[in-house]
Amino acid sequence: MSKVTLKDIRLREYTLENLGLLGRLRKDLMRTRPEVCIERARHTTRYLRDLSSDDEPMETRYAKAVAYFLSKKAPLFFDDNLLAGTTTSKPFGAPVYQELTGMTIWPELDTISTRGKNPLILSREDAEELNFEIFPYWMERNILEYTRKKHNNPGCMRLFERIVFFLASKAGTISHTVPDYRKVLAKGIEGIIEEAAAREEDVRRKGADTPDNRHSIEFYQAVQIVMKGVLEYAANLSRRAEELAAAETDPARRENLLRMSETCARVPAKPARTFREALNSLWICQVAVHAENINMAMSPGRLDQVLYDYYRRDIDSGTLTVGEAIELVGCLWLKLNDNTNLVPETSEELFGGAGTVPAVTVGGVDENGEDAVNDLTYIMLRVTELLKLRDPSVNARYHYEKNTEEYRDRVAEVIVNTKAVPAFHNDVVDIKVLENQGTSTEHARDYAVIGCVELASAGRSYDASSSIIFNLVSALELAMYNGKRPATGDEQIGPQTGDPAGFSTFEEFWEAFKTQLKWLIGEAIKLNEYFGRAHQEMLPTPLLSAFFEGPMEKGRDLIRGGALYNSSGATHIGFADTVDSLSAIEKAVFMDRKCTFAELLTALRDDFRGHEKLHAYLVYKTPKYGTDDPIAVKNSRNLIRFLYDFYQGHTNYRGGRYRPGYWTMTNHAGQGKLSGALPNGRKAHKVFASGITPASQAAGDLSACLKAVGGLDGLCIPSGEALNLKYPHVNGNGDIKTFAQAVESYFRYGGLHVQFNIMSYEELIDAKKNPEKYPELLVRVSGYSAYFKDLNEAMKDEIITRTAYDLGTGRAVPFPEEYRSMLAYE
Amino acid sequence: MAKRGRPLIFNIRRFALDDGPGIRTTVFMKGCPLSCIWCHNPESVSPAAEVAFYEDRCIGCGTCREVCPEGAVSATSGSERINRERCTACGVCTEECPSTALSVIGRECEVDELVERLLEERIFYETSGGGVTFSGGEPTLFMDYTAEVMHRLKSEGIHVAIQTSGMFNLREFSDKLLPHTDLIFFDLKLIDSDRHRDFTGRDNDLILENFRHLAMNASIPVVPRIPLVPGMTATKQNLADTAAFLRETGCRSAVLLPYNPGGILKAKAVGRSPHPSLPDRMPPVGEEEELKAFFLDRLSGRCAKAMEKRPAQDINPSTGFHFCSDRRTQGGA
Repeated sequence: MSKVTLKDIRLREYTLENLGLLGRLRKDLMRTRPEVCIERARHTTRYLRDLSSDDEPMETRYAKAVAYFLSKKAPLFFDDNLLAGTTTSKPFGAPVYQELTGMTIWPELDTISTRGKNPLILSREDAEELNFEIFPYWMERNILEYTRKKHNNPGCMRLFERIVFFLASKAGTISHTVPDYRKVLAKGIEGIIEEAAAREEDVRRKGADTPDNRHSIEFYQAVQIVMKGVLEYAANLSRRAEELAAAETDPARRENLLRMSETCARVPAKPARTFREALNSLWICQVAVHAENINMAMSPGRLDQVLYDYYRRDIDSGTLTVGEAIELVGCLWLKLNDNTNLVPETSEELFGGAGTVPAVTVGGVDENGEDAVNDLTYIMLRVTELLKLRDPSVNARYHYEKNTEEYRDRVAEVIVNTKAVPAFHNDVVDIKVLENQGTSTEHARDYAVIGCVELASAGRSYDASSSIIFNLVSALELAMYNGKRPATGDEQIGPQTGDPAGFSTFEEFWEAFKTQLKWLIGEAIKLNEYFGRAHQEMLPTPLLSAFFEGPMEKGRDLIRGGALYNSSGATHIGFADTVDSLSAIEKAVFMDRKCTFAELLTALRDDFRGHEKLHAYLVYKTPKYGTDDPIAVKNSRNLIRFLYDFYQGHTNYRGGRYRPGYWTMTNHAGQGKLSGALPNGRKAHKVFASGITPASQAAGDLSACLKAVGGLDGLCIPSGEALNLKYPHVNGNGDIKTFAQAVESYFRYGGLHVQFNIMSYEELIDAKKNPEKYPELLVRVSGYSAYFKDLNEAMKDEIITRTAYDLGTGRAVPFPEEYRSMLAYE
Repeated sequence: MAKRGRPLIFNIRRFALDDGPGIRTTVFMKGCPLSCIWCHNPESVSPAAEVAFYEDRCIGCGTCREVCPEGAVSATSGSERINRERCTACGVCTEECPSTALSVIGRECEVDELVERLLEERIFYETSGGGVTFSGGEPTLFMDYTAEVMHRLKSEGIHVAIQTSGMFNLREFSDKLLPHTDLIFFDLKLIDSDRHRDFTGRDNDLILENFRHLAMNASIPVVPRIPLVPGMTATKQNLADTAAFLRETGCRSAVLLPYNPGGILKAKAVGRSPHPSLPDRMPPVGEEEELKAFFLDRLSGRCAKAMEKRPAQDINPSTGFHFCSDRRTQGGA
């Protein structure tokens, strides 16, 4: 039975005008410039360097370092938000994770405040503290150098540092997951501490003499230590709010401070009793998680489910109104925007503009497989529609057999009104995908989205879904050039798979390509395993572990495989360009014999200058992924299948399998910039297509595109896919209906995910030329949202040139003639 | 020319929203008994295959001249490029052209193949309450073929619509197509017989008779469609006559199709000179609105309201039979 009781699911009576607080806070957020916050680096370094000894087991030592930081963490109240707690000591801060990626800004301390792209303000004193006090201690203790030293600068690490082959995300090996906040809301931190103490006692009784039991005892101790740090932080917040209230003259502000003080005196220590307590408890835990774990895609999960009972109880008892609930949810959405990533300039140039992508998931079915959409789902959709923020990345699950058409159409309407969010996820296939990975049906149904598009049974599965970011084009080029790549010159990088000029069939080339893939993926996995084991040794995560199902029961930290389910995710860049290049090679060289392989390579080397006829043929007459062409269909499916089989044959350091996915954040723009011309007609240094999306302008027919992408076997894509679609305009209810029907059709064909930008070529071109006119223009990149102005130029071009489909005709809108040079094949 | 009774298909347009309810696939058959001077699919008039030349796509490589076995391709620009007397539409040049500037319009398609391709879109129909629409050209020119495809679709539970000029043998239509049809779009161009002959090349007696019969007797909706061609069909006289005719037949609604000059370019592509009096741009919105209001007024009392319709979309002829799959043809004319 439907849980929806709202009269108007669109909640039109609530606007930013009559919810004055949200409007004000949003305006402040948009004005606030990001600053580097060194508080975490300062306190954790001080503890580890000065207040502890190398002899102590890392599990408890690291827990003490995090607890020390939490106890010292300044309790700050920057604005009139109804929730207490801040991720950093700045209104909008980038925390420094010096043991992970933080060290990359060391050479840029003097310029980070003033660089052209997305500067981060860093004061002189803080820069000096980093330079003289903090970073020197970490020179050989950060994950990269620790791993390098341990494995004697291995080949896989040197490959990774060339950037153009794969990125084994040293930070992505952890984070990128969905904690389970239900438990802390229900039991409170004190409950968790009691549980850990009792379990510690149990193990002790069994004896502390085995290494496993010793580890367990350390783990339970670590949980108790670190959780006490969370309690201290909450107590400090409560105390500070009370002090501020005493000095506050504005009665409304005083009232809010007093309520926050009361709330923090109660939660997260004890079980939450009200919706407000539940929200604040959850937020403080999210802050605490970031004291330990890097702020990358730490996703709060299915908030419409997690918070529903608290909401319902308060609404039914008359202590909460819908308007107040909207305001509180809005406050959480704004809080989730209070931090950003610390990104060095080169990365910003190549890959910039991302938020921290804490994904929120709404809708879908419950653990029994029934419609889970409730009033809170619609409240969260309305808040998303009103605030139009980069984060949280909101994901709407849709089960076409269980959810209502009304819900489906409402999600479509919110996308149209925000021009970008939420993303749509296919419950029917997503659940099967997780079941196929060994997740129980109930747990699969309770999945939430991690970061961009990846799926996890919320709070049960540790997926580190961004472990490997693999450039498929690099393996393709290794096959084309017998183990070398133009980007790395004459160096023999991969195995010698033969000069393709000597191949007489496409199958020979396909085999060579697979050999290069296997070798290169093998290297990426090897490095990820090194990083994973380094994490196990130097960066245990007792705090995050306590918010999961599994570690407490098993007495094992998440990083050691404590979760109920484990995996590592590998995502792939350049899927469409690789498939189209394979098809172009098959057709041009081996079927139509339009050119020899050697001639093709010459044309690529010349970036097609002087080879106009061959170029036109490659662009217009070779099979394109995203159409019905059987060669394109065959090659796309073969590649998906091959990668799936290969990854699944590898088990990670936590005992889980590797899972391939196809979402690219901004990497396809950055990697494209570093790559030469390709057989599909894409010219040198142009962007690749994003995620699992067909190459821009290659798939001119919307229905063919949806069928081609939907027709890929979802079971082979367990780490998710991002299909980006663009419509120049969606007018009125009729178009919204068509919009929603197209999504549903795509899902019924088997697609996992789709996200939209509702913008025309012309609007986006104008936004690139006149950024000041579009300060808040929100776009979907490849799995997350960004403000268009923050993206690098290549990424802007990629979004501009993405195929726009006219929803009235289902056909691609012609790209403006005068801007054709922006296209990847021009 | 196709085998007797077997049409050439010149386009299968998917995600069609304007050809009936829901998301549809529209099948365009080549060949038409009329030759309306405003025809916006001029490549559909002849039942034979033709080669179209899209000059804007030409990269000037000269391949077409080299490969043409008939010597029918010259270096001249525009519609003169192909000597239509010599061209046999063999397709060699279109195969070799690297940039899709040349393409054959019209391809034979076995019933099985067509049905299979139409059913591939089934999920779109089911999700949206859509189906398949037969258009042209004139699908009733190929009664047996069309009936077989329709029958196969109906037995799969697919909603079937037809767009017709009304120029057909009523008995044959009633026997072969009507039983498999859920919706008829029936074009009414001009009520005045002389003007009809002048602009379309044929009398309208049969058309009007067929319409009257179907509107009054068919158990399925028959929706009249009136193209608004400035100065030709879009005159107050013709609209008043049409409204009167519709009232007479008890017809309750009509679709007015805004003028779309897209046919002019397409006529040039297949080497035809568009009629000099055809406007090359859309008329001002106000003008069409005024005519619609006028028409509604005349129809009022009996007819609830004339259905609004977005401008008709160009059909891209260059894809031949294929589902549109290459980017150039997708850009649209």
